[in-house]
Amino acid sequence: MNERIRLLFAEAADLKTYTLSNSTMSIEIAYIAPLCDEKMISDFITVPFTKEEIPYRKQLDTIPEYLKIEDPARWQDLMLRGNVLIKDIDSGEIFSFFTGDVICNESPQTQVESAIQGPQIALSEDLNKSMNLIRTMYPAPEVAVEEYSVGYISKTPLLVVFDQRHVDPSVLDNVRSKLSSISIDMVHAAGELEKLLIGKRRHLFPTVLITERPDRIAKSLSKGKVVVLIKGSMFALIMPVSFFDFMHAIEDNYEAYWMTRTLIVIRYLSIILTITLPALYIAIVSYNPELFRVQLAFSIAASRSAVPYPSYIEVFVMLFMIEALIEASIRLPRYIGSTATTVGGLILGQAAQQAGLVSSIMIIVTSVVAISNFVIPINSLSFSVRFLKYPLIAASIFFGISGVAVGLFLYVSYLCNLRSFGKPYFRLHGKVNPAEGDVGQVRAK
Amino acid sequence: MNRYAALLSLLLALLTISGCGFKDIDKRFFVVATGIDWSGNKSKPYRITLQLAIPSPKIEPGASKIQYETIDAPSIAEGVRMLKAYVDKELDFGHCKMMIIGEELAKRDINHSIEWMLRRRDIQSVATLAIGRPTAETVLHVRPASERYPGNALLLSFGADGTESSYNYAETLSGFARRVSEKGMDPALAIITNDGKESYIINQVALFDKEKIKTILTPAETQLFNQMSDHFTKASMHGMFKGTPLVIAINQLNSSFRLQGHTAPVRITMKVKMDVVFEEAPNGLFDKDWLSVEDALATEYEKAAVALLKKIQRHGVDPFGFGLRYRAVYPGKNAWNNWTQLYPDAEFNVEAMVKIEGTGLIR
Repeated sequence: MNERIRLLFAEAADLKTYTLSNSTMSIEIAYIAPLCDEKMISDFITVPFTKEEIPYRKQLDTIPEYLKIEDPARWQDLMLRGNVLIKDIDSGEIFSFFTGDVICNESPQTQVESAIQGPQIALSEDLNKSMNLIRTMYPAPEVAVEEYSVGYISKTPLLVVFDQRHVDPSVLDNVRSKLSSISIDMVHAAGELEKLLIGKRRHLFPTVLITERPDRIAKSLSKGKVVVLIKGSMFALIMPVSFFDFMHAIEDNYEAYWMTRTLIVIRYLSIILTITLPALYIAIVSYNPELFRVQLAFSIAASRSAVPYPSYIEVFVMLFMIEALIEASIRLPRYIGSTATTVGGLILGQAAQQAGLVSSIMIIVTSVVAISNFVIPINSLSFSVRFLKYPLIAASIFFGISGVAVGLFLYVSYLCNLRSFGKPYFRLHGKVNPAEGDVGQVRAK
Repeated sequence: MNRYAALLSLLLALLTISGCGFKDIDKRFFVVATGIDWSGNKSKPYRITLQLAIPSPKIEPGASKIQYETIDAPSIAEGVRMLKAYVDKELDFGHCKMMIIGEELAKRDINHSIEWMLRRRDIQSVATLAIGRPTAETVLHVRPASERYPGNALLLSFGADGTESSYNYAETLSGFARRVSEKGMDPALAIITNDGKESYIINQVALFDKEKIKTILTPAETQLFNQMSDHFTKASMHGMFKGTPLVIAINQLNSSFRLQGHTAPVRITMKVKMDVVFEEAPNGLFDKDWLSVEDALATEYEKAAVALLKKIQRHGVDPFGFGLRYRAVYPGKNAWNNWTQLYPDAEFNVEAMVKIEGTGLIR
């Protein structure tokens, strides 16, 4: 076996092959050293083999972790996943034994979707640990788990988790067929898988929710949604979802009623502001200044009088600055990140206004746009909403307020047209048509 | 492909509806008040005064900067167009909330001016109308020292934000236009008087028929008129009780009227209910019987109100809308003709109900 394995792999120093013998039998073992736990190998294979307290052949036959391998074509795959191959030279039988040692983050804290009083632990990059969290939070016998792997090279393992009682079969079939039809070399991140699942290359809104919170996953399972876990990423995908799920912070369920409702209202106001405000600024300042109160009109006129360019150039200058600033502070190492915000936010904003490049009102508009964008609880929606303001700005340059209105109308129509795994994406509360199925919530009230 | 074609055609369709051109706010000259006067010259009868705001980043008392432009023109629209040649930025009436018509012009004909205001699309329908005395131009040139930004003082006087004077009668452009066109309800406007110094007084109301001033009420009548037309109800009232003067503040006032009979003479009964508090009263009133005081006050109020109604009737105008009510209650082809015959002989009856809520003092 060992010669054949050495032929199968490229010249690799970390490929270990040995032949061991004791008084009764001799075996060949082969494994890739970095992927395996050497301690496990010595504890379970070499030490029992040499000590001969129990005949090793008997151990191979009785312990279920030793799997008998018939097909030599699976050798490579098994070894690449951290298995040790053992060959009993006398009988010629080959066994595999899993000793995988995958490096992953140890039950991390939530970082992307933080909650003050909710569970603080996030999903792990290891599927077993993630499933541990989910099973603990949702201890129901009806939880079904299916295994898939995607990527011709990466062979990333996926787990599809759902509650058998509540899941909508049509959604499940849809997810299954999408997963098996994926043809790609590598998949490493949840967002990548999301794009493959949706199938559209250019989508404006996310139709799959990406989360790191096990409590959100447990809640979704109880509502009959399908959850896909991906190995090596601490984010899970939840589908199908509606637009309103993205606007829902998990903490809305944990905190006092009136304030959370107020926060939800504020969130929707913010999303409207962050999309329309730059466009409305252009439309009102350049087309319909009578919409302002008269004091505001005069102070804007006065602060704009130093600005040499038309209002839209001003908007572009400021929006370019703020987008660059956000991008920089995400990509920079954490230690320099705060410097970027200080330099950009405080110094540049102040200086741009004093230099007469932008008006002081525009600084406020820009900050409102940026801050209200951060209010959106799910990052993927927040990211796609960041783009939405630009088409509206273009419309407002040429058509003023009516352009903004038509642009918003187009957005709403597009949202209504969207489907998330066959379920209406933008459905407000309405009667559920039993023929059509619920939004992935067959039994939920 | 089809989708892009649809989107493109939608954008093209939008091109047809873009109303106003792209013009930045700092390239516009905001007109904060417009005055229209009679110039005395037959060939160029209208004297147009525009109060233009010069925007300044500082908004503080006394910091308002204003530019004036005045021109005589054969028509208002022409005058405004000619004025554009005098200024460097585009004139914008979007913030013109004060429209002042000179008294001389108001005594001749206001319909032409009103029509211009209604037709021009950037003049808001909520703009306030008033009469300027002696001329709109002199009123506009008053620069109150407290003014924080251009046009602020007049706006505060007429709006609900600033002073609440019981002598002030605020009428919007749309309200005035409605009264001009509606049979049976005549327009009225407040008069802004320039007292020759750096301030103005607004304490009189001019009553119009459909085109010009018919009569001007005295300040006392103006206050009464405002109360009876439910226009402004927080007011004070003077009275005498057994030889001692009383001043009462009206907290709440409701007035309504109804018509009785539709053959001559029609009887118009006006009910005025008010809750009052004493502002000045003789000592010891708290322990006395308030009923007799209430009665005495009511009688006095009724007398004054009937006198005012009679005066309005004598001038043949109808700012309360009695005629409109008659047309609504007794509809028919001849309703309006009947009313024009009935109104000059109509009888008035005012029932005032005064309720004293307290003496204003805690014992």
